[in-house]
Amino acid sequence: MNVGYLCTYTPKELIDGAGFTPVRIFAGDNPISLATAHIQSYACSQARGSFERALKGELDVQAVVFTRCCDTLMRLTDIWERNTDMKVHNLEFPSRIDEKSRNFFIRELEDFVAVLESWGGEITLERVKESLSLYRVLEEKLTRLFEIKPDYEVAIRVQEMNVRDAIKLVDEKLEKAEGSEGRPKVLITGSVCPFVDVYKLFEDAGFALMDDICTGTRFFTFNTPEREIRNMEDVYEYLADKYFNKAPCPTKHFSDDRRFEYILNLAKDCDGVVFLLLKFCEPHFYDYPQLKEKLEEMGKKTLLIELEFPIASYEQLRTRIEAFYEVIE
Amino acid sequence: MTLKKLRASDRMKQLMGGYYMMGKQAEVNAWVTSGAPVELLYAMDIYPVYPENHGALIGAAKQGPYFSDFAEKKGFSRDLCSYARCDIGCVYAGTSPIGGLPEPNFLFACNNICNTVIKWYQVLSRIFKVPLFVLDTPFVRKELKESYVRYVHDQLYEFVDFVERVTGRELSDSKLRETLAKSVEGVNAYADVLHMAKHKPSPLTCFDAFINMAPIVCLRGTEYPIEFYAEMKKELMERVERGEGAVENEEVRLLWDNIPVWYRLRWFAEFFAERDACLVADTYTNAWTGFISMDKSDVFWSMAETYTFIYLNIGLEHMAEAINRLINYYDVDGVVIHSNRSCKPYSFGQYEIQKMIDVPSVVIEADMVDSRAFSEAQVETRLEAFLEMLK
Repeated sequence: MNVGYLCTYTPKELIDGAGFTPVRIFAGDNPISLATAHIQSYACSQARGSFERALKGELDVQAVVFTRCCDTLMRLTDIWERNTDMKVHNLEFPSRIDEKSRNFFIRELEDFVAVLESWGGEITLERVKESLSLYRVLEEKLTRLFEIKPDYEVAIRVQEMNVRDAIKLVDEKLEKAEGSEGRPKVLITGSVCPFVDVYKLFEDAGFALMDDICTGTRFFTFNTPEREIRNMEDVYEYLADKYFNKAPCPTKHFSDDRRFEYILNLAKDCDGVVFLLLKFCEPHFYDYPQLKEKLEEMGKKTLLIELEFPIASYEQLRTRIEAFYEVIE
Repeated sequence: MTLKKLRASDRMKQLMGGYYMMGKQAEVNAWVTSGAPVELLYAMDIYPVYPENHGALIGAAKQGPYFSDFAEKKGFSRDLCSYARCDIGCVYAGTSPIGGLPEPNFLFACNNICNTVIKWYQVLSRIFKVPLFVLDTPFVRKELKESYVRYVHDQLYEFVDFVERVTGRELSDSKLRETLAKSVEGVNAYADVLHMAKHKPSPLTCFDAFINMAPIVCLRGTEYPIEFYAEMKKELMERVERGEGAVENEEVRLLWDNIPVWYRLRWFAEFFAERDACLVADTYTNAWTGFISMDKSDVFWSMAETYTFIYLNIGLEHMAEAINRLINYYDVDGVVIHSNRSCKPYSFGQYEIQKMIDVPSVVIEADMVDSRAFSEAQVETRLEAFLEMLK
């Protein structure tokens, strides 16, 4: 069985450990039509576009996990459940990330395991340990690949396949990967963008890329090293550390403004920053003005690109990206 | 046409005038979201400032686009919540229709109404450089799990510590119990007022309820709403005794869903009254009624339950159930659903709810404060057709 998910805070390790395949759901390439009868046009096109694919029967998933992040996905959960045959579960990832919410998250993980079992999954410590280590391997390899040169095609493909096949694919790419030294570097920050051609436009314009994108490095940037796992409690503790310390997302609240610091730090080595934001994505659009101001104080040039899926005009994007390249050069 | 006016509305203006004056003199104030447990603040003599109420006020004054523009110029997208845009806009403008809000000593955001408030209050916390406490309530899609209540319960204690640290004040148990008792009393008095709409013809419309809701939101936990709503109930009772409806010839009884279109309240009120339709109730103001179940042995646990299982923080099945209860209680013929661009958790799912409720409904597209998102001709056509169908 394939278990779909949309948010990178979803503990894929438990899904894989239950004997299912976690598959990330993205918006498709076709115009959105069926979904408009179920959700308003001011929902972001990642939500509408993903649901469109479900309604059209394009998704090979039998269950979906909605991990709490934004208001849109929170509401989409019920809409999805009522209009598809898929099993649906909402995992309430806390919006506060700190010591206090950690215990609650662990309770949610325990409940999630019970749900996976009710779906016919079998979770044993041995299997979960294997899943934990496989995902860690995948994440390390993707990190290495992206250090040489970001490969968005691979990053997106691995999110839609079994972790074992994903590792093989990244291995193949690692053998051939070559860096792109000497180019001006741009940091792309934003929500999701599963359309590989968008990143190509930046490369075509002459940029080397770094990203803080939900379908890019935020999928595989965790900061919790391997450790000994003796029982399920250790699994939950480890997952809590892993997901609480991952590359931060604006849907979360950190008492120390961690996301701003994280991005300002990434931006240090870059010549410019592009906000690649999905229209109607509130969490990102609230951060944008103050983050932009901080980046400009650092002397960085910034550009805002607002996307809607499917992307209507690549040529228009190309023109803007090329113009930005000229500004940076 | 002239709409019937309630005397209560004048009293309400005085009351809220007093509330805003209080704010200018308060020693310590906190900016809070409308769904936050304000009782804890009143119990510690901390003045609560409501940016959402301020947003509604700006909307009603038809100044939404003007103040939003200040935020938009700073880079805040026009797709963001118009309460937030106006509130942030007023901060940058340094004023508002009531001369701006007093600067906060700290911020208190509870995401039981939306996750937007977390982002909005983060923005404020960077502007004012004051601490922000986020009360995180898990979404009750199906069941209210004990683990959810426990998590919120523990955060309430943490919040008290936070306030004691920031302000140097201490929470007294008796003061809190007193405040909660007043809160329950106020909520009941408010519910009594709304329940008057059960009469046929109804002595009030949801527009009366909207105009007079500020005290239960802002002054909940004080004496004021208790007295105010008792008075208002008396006035409505007089109407009932005279057999007088809020609308001259009440033929159709309707329910409103979502936050009001503040800049068009009067327009809507007239539109329906002219067509002998009375919007007797709404999901917005009813969200503040009967929501407190106070178990005196553990008030923190009760507060945690109450504030987690709030109308906007529950799944569609629970929402449809609540709407059907209102339809039944008020004997409603149809539902007017405001699809509000500014409020995603309130609006997404409305198309599903239409299929889950017991009477016909119509969806109109608008925004609560930003009049640029309102098309009069379109709304008019939709509503005309709907009323035609109901009659």
